[in-house]
Amino acid sequence: MSAVKRAQQWATFARTWHIFDCKWQDPYESANVIKKYLMGLHKPIYHPMNDCGDVVVCINSREIALRGDEWRQRAYFHHTGYPGGATWTLAWELHNKDPTMIIKKAVYRAMKGNLQRRHTMERLFIYPGEVIPEEVKQNITNQIRQIRLVPTRLDHIPEEEVQKYPKVMDYPEDYVLK
Amino acid sequence: MTKIVRAGFTFAKNCKNAVISTSVRAISITKQLNLKELREHTEGTTLVVEGVTVPSPRTALLVRAENLSGYVPPESSEKKPCYMCALGLDVKHTDVLILSQFVRSDGCMLPRRITGLCSRQQKKIGKLVTMAQKAGLMINLTPSYCHKDPKKRRDYKKFNTYFDEKTIFWWRIPKPTDKFKR
Repeated sequence: MSAVKRAQQWATFARTWHIFDCKWQDPYESANVIKKYLMGLHKPIYHPMNDCGDVVVCINSREIALRGDEWRQRAYFHHTGYPGGATWTLAWELHNKDPTMIIKKAVYRAMKGNLQRRHTMERLFIYPGEVIPEEVKQNITNQIRQIRLVPTRLDHIPEEEVQKYPKVMDYPEDYVLK
Repeated sequence: MTKIVRAGFTFAKNCKNAVISTSVRAISITKQLNLKELREHTEGTTLVVEGVTVPSPRTALLVRAENLSGYVPPESSEKKPCYMCALGLDVKHTDVLILSQFVRSDGCMLPRRITGLCSRQQKKIGKLVTMAQKAGLMINLTPSYCHKDPKKRRDYKKFNTYFDEKTIFWWRIPKPTDKFKR
């Protein structure tokens, strides 16, 4: 085996560390993307019996965005096993308790329920803020593209840019400015 | 009398014998003819409130479909589309630079007689404005008593929310359980 082939072999089977910024991302949409990197579905050598999954580091999981009224509509079910042990926790209550739990459960549910799933989940790191431990940070070599654009607030845009932006609506002639 | 009013209505009143409160400002005897700004200043003991005719700051920056290069005028038999229909913009609720043109300084949607939109566009823009306000993207255009920072809102309102524009004209948004119903 030549040196080039050996390096190619090494690069093919090495685990890549990806980073994903969850700011303003829907966890249920982004779980389908994260799942592919975790399981190694994006690689041409993928096979279910082939351990080729990568590591994904999710940051800013506190800043995820849910669609419409899902913060108060989506409930997470848990049963302790005892009679009367069922609880339904709303998404905003769960996010108050643990800001990493929603994205973790979303990725877990996006994958097929087999024996490999628990081991695949071990390769997912989720951090509520932007701070990552140094030993995790030094491994990261790739960034996963965000699905949704992060919206810009109007008060964060400079005033002169708002004034100069092309207008579609003009006031009628007899309008009193307020 | 009419001439005076057209030049810009001016009324003076004594502060000591104030009959009309200063909050009541919509005083005009005839139809107002130009874009006006209400200015008030005091001359001695007299409060002068006058409507000053000002040029519109938006006219120079205005974009209209008929002024664009690839514009095809509609057939005369068809009803003339409103300016937003003619432009055919795909406006999202995150386009706050466009949506902020349709609201007052306290964040309320302007009525249709002022915006000049067709009823469908008025409804659509109004809902997009509501979405942008709920997502906390136009918090500088809110009443003074409002919590400006979305993080200071209560319960589920303090977390980021986004909206799907496809839901605006749906009669009823289907729920995930609907697929199990016969």
